Amino acid sequence: MALTLEQIRADVADVLGEDPADIPDDENLVDYGLDSVRIMALVERWRRDHGTEVTFVDLAEQPAIEKWAPLLGAAA
Amino acid sequence: MTVHDLAAARGTDTSAAGGTDTSAAGGDGAAAGEPAGAAAVAPAGPPALAAAGEPARPGPDRGLPLTAAQSGMWFAQALDPDSPAQNTAELVEIHGPVDPELFVRALHRVAGEADALRVRLVETPDGPRQLPLALGPARAAPAPGPARDTGPTTTTEPARNPARDTVPSGAVSSSAVSSGDAPAATVPFPFHLADLRDRTDPDAAARARTGDDLSRPFDLAAGPLFAHALFRVGDERWLWYQRVHHAVMDGYGYSLLARRTAEVYTALAAGEEPGPSPFGRLGDLVAEDTAYRASETYEKDRAHWTEQFADRPEVPNLAGRTALPSRTFLRRTARLAPEATERVRELASSLRATWPDVLIAAQALYVSRATNSREVVLGLPMMGRMGSAALRIPGMVMNVLPLRLTVAPGDTFAQLTRQVVLGIRAARRHQRFRYEDIRRELGLLGEGRSLVGPLVNVMPFDYGLTFAGARSDAHNLSAGPVDDLTVNIYDRADGSGLRIDYDGNPALYEEPELAAHQRRFLRLLTAVAEGDPHAPTGSLALPTPVERDLVLTEFNDTAQPVPPTTLIGPIEAQAARTPDAPALVFRGRTLSYAGLNARANRLARELTARGVRPGTLAAVALPRSVDLIVTLLAVLKAGGAYLPLDPDYPAGRLAYMLEDAAPVCVVTDAATRAALPATGRPVLEPGDPELAARLAAHPATDPGRALTPQHPAYVIYTSGSTGRPKGVVVPHSAIDNRLRWMQAEYRLAPGDRVLQKTPSGFDVSVWEFFWAFRQGATLVVAEPGGHKDPAHLARLIREQAVTTVHFVPSMLQVFLAEPAAADCDGLRRVFCSGEALPRETAEEFHRVLPGVPLHNLYGPTEAAVDVTHHPCVPGERGPVPIGKPVWNTRLYVLDAALQPCPPGIPGELYLAGVQLADGYLGRPALTAGRFVADPFGPPGSRMYRTGDLARRRDDGAVEYLGRTDHQVKLRGQRIEPGEIEAALAACEGVAAACVLVREDQPGNQRLTGYVTPAAGTPGGTPDPDALRAELAGQLPDHMVPQDLLVLADFPLSPNGKLDRGALPAPDRSSAGRGRAPRTPQEETLARLFAEVLGVPYVGVDDGFFDLGGNSLLAARLVARVRDALGAELAVGALFRAPSPAALADRLHVAGDNREALGVLLPLRPVRPGSRTPLFVFHPAGGISWCYSGLLAHLGADQPVYGLQARNLAVPEDMPGTMEEMADDYLAQLRKVQPHGPYRLLGWSVGGVVAHTVAVRLQEAGERVDLLALLDAYPSDQWRDLPIPAEADALGALLRMAGFEPRGDTDREQVLNFLHEEGSALANLPEHTLNSVVDIVVNNARLMRTHRHRVFDGDLVFFTAAAPRAESWLDRRGWAPYVTGRLLNRDLDCLHPQLTQPERIAEVAGVLAPRLAAEPAAEPVGGPADIPEENAR
Repeated sequence: MALTLEQIRADVADVLGEDPADIPDDENLVDYGLDSVRIMALVERWRRDHGTEVTFVDLAEQPAIEKWAPLLGAAA
Repeated sequence: MTVHDLAAARGTDTSAAGGTDTSAAGGDGAAAGEPAGAAAVAPAGPPALAAAGEPARPGPDRGLPLTAAQSGMWFAQALDPDSPAQNTAELVEIHGPVDPELFVRALHRVAGEADALRVRLVETPDGPRQLPLALGPARAAPAPGPARDTGPTTTTEPARNPARDTVPSGAVSSSAVSSGDAPAATVPFPFHLADLRDRTDPDAAARARTGDDLSRPFDLAAGPLFAHALFRVGDERWLWYQRVHHAVMDGYGYSLLARRTAEVYTALAAGEEPGPSPFGRLGDLVAEDTAYRASETYEKDRAHWTEQFADRPEVPNLAGRTALPSRTFLRRTARLAPEATERVRELASSLRATWPDVLIAAQALYVSRATNSREVVLGLPMMGRMGSAALRIPGMVMNVLPLRLTVAPGDTFAQLTRQVVLGIRAARRHQRFRYEDIRRELGLLGEGRSLVGPLVNVMPFDYGLTFAGARSDAHNLSAGPVDDLTVNIYDRADGSGLRIDYDGNPALYEEPELAAHQRRFLRLLTAVAEGDPHAPTGSLALPTPVERDLVLTEFNDTAQPVPPTTLIGPIEAQAARTPDAPALVFRGRTLSYAGLNARANRLARELTARGVRPGTLAAVALPRSVDLIVTLLAVLKAGGAYLPLDPDYPAGRLAYMLEDAAPVCVVTDAATRAALPATGRPVLEPGDPELAARLAAHPATDPGRALTPQHPAYVIYTSGSTGRPKGVVVPHSAIDNRLRWMQAEYRLAPGDRVLQKTPSGFDVSVWEFFWAFRQGATLVVAEPGGHKDPAHLARLIREQAVTTVHFVPSMLQVFLAEPAAADCDGLRRVFCSGEALPRETAEEFHRVLPGVPLHNLYGPTEAAVDVTHHPCVPGERGPVPIGKPVWNTRLYVLDAALQPCPPGIPGELYLAGVQLADGYLGRPALTAGRFVADPFGPPGSRMYRTGDLARRRDDGAVEYLGRTDHQVKLRGQRIEPGEIEAALAACEGVAAACVLVREDQPGNQRLTGYVTPAAGTPGGTPDPDALRAELAGQLPDHMVPQDLLVLADFPLSPNGKLDRGALPAPDRSSAGRGRAPRTPQEETLARLFAEVLGVPYVGVDDGFFDLGGNSLLAARLVARVRDALGAELAVGALFRAPSPAALADRLHVAGDNREALGVLLPLRPVRPGSRTPLFVFHPAGGISWCYSGLLAHLGADQPVYGLQARNLAVPEDMPGTMEEMADDYLAQLRKVQPHGPYRLLGWSVGGVVAHTVAVRLQEAGERVDLLALLDAYPSDQWRDLPIPAEADALGALLRMAGFEPRGDTDREQVLNFLHEEGSALANLPEHTLNSVVDIVVNNARLMRTHRHRVFDGDLVFFTAAAPRAESWLDRRGWAPYVTGRLLNRDLDCLHPQLTQPERIAEVAGVLAPRLAAEPAAEPVGGPADIPEENAR
C-alpha cells in the first residue's frame, strides 16, 4: 500500500509524540524533536509496512515532510 | 611492532608496484606527476621522516582551514602532543573468509574516496590548516619482523596494466583538498597484516597489538591520521582494526567508512567494479562550517546557550571532583540483558519516547541520586549532521550538547523522561553551536570548570555489515578522550541487548569504583524498566541488596548492652571508692574526690531547696573554676539538668537563653551577675558568705533524687538559622552511653589527668567535665581564657602532667605551631572534634608528638557530643574520616529520596540510636523537622538529620564532606549565618545582610558580612565599625563578622537569587603607615598587633580585623596584651576597640603623657599575687619607655616599673648630684615596694643610677636581690670626657628608641625618623623634647662627678659586644664597686640596639629565671648560663 502524505504526517507525529495537526509539511522536523533514532524507526516502519527503500541518509538530509513525500512515492 | 613501524618499514620494499583502480579518486591529482613508487623510495623510518622529503613550506596550495569541530580536537592535541587520548579506534570482527589482498585494496580505495580522512594538520600563521596527503600503494605485504608474525598470505598485489593507471603505482591524492599547484606529501599506506592463528590465544595477541597501537599518538603535522590492520585469528575469523585521529573522524564517520569498505570489498570479491563513491567532500564541511559561523542562526544559538547556562551551574559528577583528561581511560563493558533491553524499548514506547531517551533519563536519575544533587547536567554527543551534507561525509562533525535536568525524588520517571525529550528537542535546535564555544562564552574555559557531568553517548547505528557474504560485528575500542565519565551505549541488532561501556578518566575513578557505578546503573535501569513509570522515582534505590545490607546493618552493628545509669551515678560511686584520690586541680590547688563530692552535695541540697529536681533546669553562669565544676555536679546531684551560660557571651545573648529556657534558678558570680537580666528567679552566688553559711549547714552526703536515665542531663544552646538560638535537651541515657563507650574505647585510668579547657557552652566540655570523675582520674582545669593561648596550654599540659586533651582542629594547628608543644610528650590521647580535621594537621601532630595517639571524633550537640570516632594513623592518605559509629548508634548516609547511599556515594548523614537528644527545648515543630522517623530502625525509633554531607568508605568509615545548607563551622563553633544576618538586618540603616565564611588566603577563614544600606537612612551608609560593635553586644565573639562590607546592591544571579560567589573579597590594601604611637602602651600594642598579624608595621589607628585578624589571632593578641601590659582583656573588646590607640584608651593603662612621663612609670603594675617588681632606670635621655619590650618576655605576673627623670612632664628642678637623683628614685620605688628584696635594672646611665640606688638601699639595711646592668660603665671611665652638646642630646633620644645616632643633627629629621620607625618618642610634647636635651646634658654632668661606693653582691652584666668607637669602656671597671661576681653575657649588637626586640628578649631570657625565683635567703646565685668573671 502506497504511502500518503497524511500517513507520513501521522507516522511522524507518532514518533514525535505530537498531534499530526501540529506537524507542518514544510518545516524542519528537527525542530520538532526528530532525531536519528526516530528517523531510523520511520525508515524501518515504512520499509516494513509500505515496502519503501529510502535510507536513513535520504531522510536525514532534508528532514521535512514535503521533501520526503517524493522520496517515499507519496502523492502530494 | 606497531602499525606505524610496519607502515614505514614497508617503504623499504622497492619491489612495490601496482595500484588501484583510478575511477573513484585518483583523477588528475597532485601526485599524478610523481614517479612510480614515490613512497617506496622514501627512507626507512617513522612516517614523519617519510614525509620529510616534501617542501618545508606548503606551496601556493595552503589546504583548508579546520572546521570548529576539528579545531577543538586539534587544540586538545596541541596541549599535549604526545598524548594518544585523541585516538579513536574500532575493531570489526569478520566471520568468514577474507582475502587480505582484496581487503587492502578496498581500504585503499575507500581512503582515496574519503578526502577528509586523508589530510595532515599543520600549524600556520593563519592557524591550523589541513593539507592533503597522497597515499602510497596499497599492499598486503607481510610484516617484516619475527617470523611468527608473518602470515602465510604474503601476497603482493599483481601489477595491472600500467598504461591504464593515471595515478602511477596506485598513489592516491586528493583533488578536493589540493588545488593541484603543489605536490601533496606522499605517505605509505598505513596497513598491517598479521596471521595470529598459531598463537595460543590469537584474540589476546590481537588485543595486545591494538592496545599497543592505541597508545601511540599521531603526529598531526606528518600524517597519515589513520591506520589499518588486519589480523587473522582463525581460519574463518578476521579482525579489522582501524585507528583514526578524532580531529578527522567521528563515530558516524566510522559507520560510513565501514559500510563503504564492506561494499567495495564485496564488489571486488565478486570481480565487479564497485559503485561510485557515496562520499561528500571535506571542502563542503569546511564551507558549511564557515557559513554557519557567519549566520544569524549562529548568533541565535549562542544567545540560546548563554541564556540557558547564564547562572553557570555547579555541575555534579560521580567523582565529586574534576581533573584534566588523562592520556588513557578505563573501560568497563557490560550488557543489558535482551529481556531488559526489550522492556526498556517497551517503556520508551509507552512514554512516547525513544530508548535513548529512557537511557538518558535513567542516567540523570542515577547521577542525581549518586551526587546528592537535584540539578544534573549530562553531556550528549550529537552526530550533528541532520539536514546537512555532512550526512555523506566521513569526517569530524560531532558535537556535545549539555542537557540540564532537574531530578526531584517526588517526580515520576515518566516526568523525567518527558523532561529529557523536551530538553533534547530544545538542544537539537541549537545543536551546531560548539561545546567548546559554550564553555568559552560562559567563561568556564579559563576557570577550568566543567559544563557537563557524565557524557551519555548513544550510538544507534549498528552496522551488521557483510564482507562478501561474511557476517561481521563492530566493537568500539576508543571513543576519544574521557574528561570524566563517558557512558557509551550501543544498540545491537543481533538481539544481544544493549552494550553499555563505562569509560572513566583514571585520574578520577578507580576500576572497582567504575564497575560499581556501572553495576548499580544497570540495576537501576532494570528497576526502572520493570517498575511503574508513574510512581515517584524516590521509591527506586541505588544500592544493590548486598550494598544495602552492608550500609544499613553491617556497618551499624554497634549494639552493646549498658546498665541503666545516669551521668552522675557513676561519679558518686567513684567518689565512694577513692575518696582520697585527687579529683580536681585548679591554679595549683588540688581537691580530693571526697572534698569535691562533699562540696557538690551541700550545694545540691541547697539547689533542691530552691526547686531543682529531675526534669527541671538550673542555669550555671560561671567562668572556668572549681565553683563551676562543683555547681555542675551539684545540679546533676539534685537531679536537675544544667544550662551552661558562658560568662563571655554578651548580655543580650545570656538574657535570651535565660528567658527561653526558664531555669528554676541561676548559679553565678558577682561579675557575671551584673550582665544577667533580673529574671525574678533565685540567684545563687558561690562566693556569697550567706550562701556559704547555709551550705555549711547541709549534710555532705550524696542526696537522694528520683532521677531516671530518661531525665534531661543538660541543655546546650546552638546557633539557629532563623535568628534564634535553640536549646538542645540531652537525656542522661544518651550521655551515659557516650561516656561508657569512651571508657571502653580509650581506657582512662586513675593515673590519667584530663585537661578541662573547653567552654561549658560547647558540648565537648561535657565529657571533659565528667569522664575523669567516673574513672578515678584527675581533672586539670585551665585558666578562664587559657584555652585560646597555646603557650599557656603547653605549659599547663607539661607542668600538670596532663594525659588527655581535646582540641578543635584549628586550635590544634595553632598549638602545634607553639614550640613548647613538642614537650607535651606525656600526653596519652588527644581528641579532635568540632570541625573537619585536615590531613596536614593530623600529619603535623604525628611529627610534633610522635607516638601520641590522635583520635578524630564527630557529633552534633543533638547526639550527645560524639557519635563517630576514627584513630588517625601516621602516613594515611586522603581526608581524615570521622570514622565509625559509637555504641548503640546507627549512621545512615541517605540520598534525597531518603534511600541509603552505597559506599562511596555522598549523601546526607542521619544519626539514630540511644545518643539522640530529646529535641529542642520548647520548639516542637523544629524538633519534628530534624528528628524524624527512622525507616530502617525498630518501630518508633527516630533519626536526626544532621545537615552534614558524608560518604561511607568501603570499610564503613564515614568521611565528612561539608554541609547541605549554609551552616558553617568556624574554629569548631557552629554558626548559622542566618542568625547573624538577622542581627545585622535589625541594625539601624541596614536594608539586607548576607554572611558567609571566606577563605581568600589559604588557611585564613574569615566570617564576612555584607550589608546594603536602607533607603533614606539619616546619616547615610552604615559604618562597619559601628555595626560590628553593635553585633558584639548581642552575639558571641565568634559570630561577629571580622569583615563587614557595605555594598550598594547585592550581586544577583540571572534567576534573581543572591549570587554568593560574586560577593567581593574585602580589600586589605588600605593598611598603611598611619599615626605613630603617643605612649609606650600604644607603641607596645602596635608592636603586638604587628607580631600577631605577621606584618611589619601597624599604625595606632589601624583596625585589627581590617589587617587580616581573625578571632583566633584575636585570642592570641589578647594573651600577648595580657602578658605585656598585665591588662585583662576579653576578645570582644577587640571588636569594640580594634586599633592600638582605641585599645590603649580602653585599657586606661598609663593612657596619657602625664602619667607616661611621670617619675614612676608603671609599665606593668603590681597586682594581687604578682611577683617582686623589677625597677628599671632610665638611660641618658631620662625616659624608660625603652624597657617595654621586656614585658612580653617576663611573664604576666612580673610587675615592672620605670624610673624617669624629673622635668619630663612638667617643668621641675633637676637633681644636682647622682646621689640626690638616687634618693629621689628610692623614695618613689619604696612607694611601690616599701622593703626589699629589691630587683634593679639599668641601661647606660640607668646602670650607674641602679648601682647607686642599690648601694643606698643596702646602706639603709635593705636586701638587693638583683642588680643588672645593660652595657653601663662606671663614672671613672667617663670623668675626663667632654659634656655633650644638643646634637648629642638628640643622639640620646635616638638611642632611647633603640637606634644608633646617624648624621641627623636636625631635631625635625630625628623626629621624622622616629615617626617612621613607629616610636612613641616621635610624639613627645614640645616641653619634653626640650627638657630631654637638658636632661641628657645634666645626666652627663652627674655621671662625671659621681663617686661610686661598693655594692655587696653579684653584678649581672650585659655587654653590647659589637666593636664600638668607645673602645675604652670596660666592664671590669666595676670590680672595685662590687663584692661578688661579675656575671656577663655578651650580646652581638651595639649599645643602642640593646633594647630592640630581639636583644631585649635575650636580656629577658636571662633575667626571667632569676625573677621567677622566690626571694632567696641568700643572694641569688649565678645560673650556669652566665659566665662568671672574677670581679677582683
